[in-house]
Amino acid sequence: MTWPPPFSMYPVLLTATLVLIIGLGWASARDPESFWAPGDLSVHHAGRMSCTQCHEPFRGATTANCIACHADATFISQPDSPPQIFHRQAARERARCLTCHTEHRGTTARITTDPLNPHSEFIFRVTGTQSCRDCHAGVQKPGPKYGLLNNDAVRRLVAKGKGAHGPGRFADCFRCHAGGRTGAERGS
Amino acid sequence: MNVVGRRTLTVIALVALAIVGALTAEWWLSQSPDRPFGHTQAGHVLGWAGLLLMLLVLAYPFRKRHTPGQRWSKSLFQVHIVGGLVGHLLILLHAGAHLHALIPVLAMLAMGLVVVSGIVGQVLHALAFRTMNEQRRLLLHQGLPEPEVEARLQALAKQEETFRLWQVIHGPLTVTFVALAMLHIGGALYYGGF
Repeated sequence: MTWPPPFSMYPVLLTATLVLIIGLGWASARDPESFWAPGDLSVHHAGRMSCTQCHEPFRGATTANCIACHADATFISQPDSPPQIFHRQAARERARCLTCHTEHRGTTARITTDPLNPHSEFIFRVTGTQSCRDCHAGVQKPGPKYGLLNNDAVRRLVAKGKGAHGPGRFADCFRCHAGGRTGAERGS
Repeated sequence: MNVVGRRTLTVIALVALAIVGALTAEWWLSQSPDRPFGHTQAGHVLGWAGLLLMLLVLAYPFRKRHTPGQRWSKSLFQVHIVGGLVGHLLILLHAGAHLHALIPVLAMLAMGLVVVSGIVGQVLHALAFRTMNEQRRLLLHQGLPEPEVEARLQALAKQEETFRLWQVIHGPLTVTFVALAMLHIGGALYYGGF
């Protein structure tokens, strides 16, 4: 055997390459995420979306594709809450969704990268609340106390965690609740 | 242990250190909650820089293949070695240890095999040089004229099988790696945009 291979080997090599490319194309069409995606989709999109519903060829994920499902009208019709107010403003300014949102970071990952809500959607799941105003008063900018209300939802959360849910410790839930689990990591 | 053995171990240790360093640096650069370093603009630039360096590496085998009569180019060989190591290191910094999609994982695996086989090749190269120099000294000591010595060494080199066998491994691995890298770049541009 020699390198480069003799000309007589070329038909065999070309055929093998062609078979490989066709096999790759077929497998990629059946399960493109396994071949090309940099990470699993979050729970919000996993199992519901195909790649081309968000990604346009050679343009990436586009705002227009986000709005196809998360229409402007949704933000207008929802009652006032900081996320709704923020998104109405963003829609007016034609902001890019990808400025604050990302994907392919895992099933339980946050998809909001520059959040007004640093707790992510996890906080709503564990407290049973629906919006930021259920625990915070007049939320506009982040801060240490962030207008924390003294209501049942806040008192229940403070009581859990055996003192871990103290002032200044609420912000990053995933520091202790890795993977979005309600139980805290040992030693955190 | 002889000189070649010690140098080989030193190279292996340095490469291992460089790999750990690159992976640690990528981990540290990916600490931002936004996205892994490889998906940032700087990460993309590193990927392109690594690719360019690796394409530069191909100048040496191309020159050897297409101008065989010319004197062996030591400087191009050094570019091949240094570019082969630094280029792959930049790619490692770009990719980190994020292993999900099959195509980039296979490209990374092929890249690792190319680097390992390249280091093996350099050891064989060094051993072949030592053998040739020893033969040259021996033949000159026997009183043979210089042209006769060169002719005999040429004949000896043409019979050298170990290096030829190594080429059969390193060459196809390189082609495989380049093909997978092109697929990865094509996929990233198709789904991620320019």
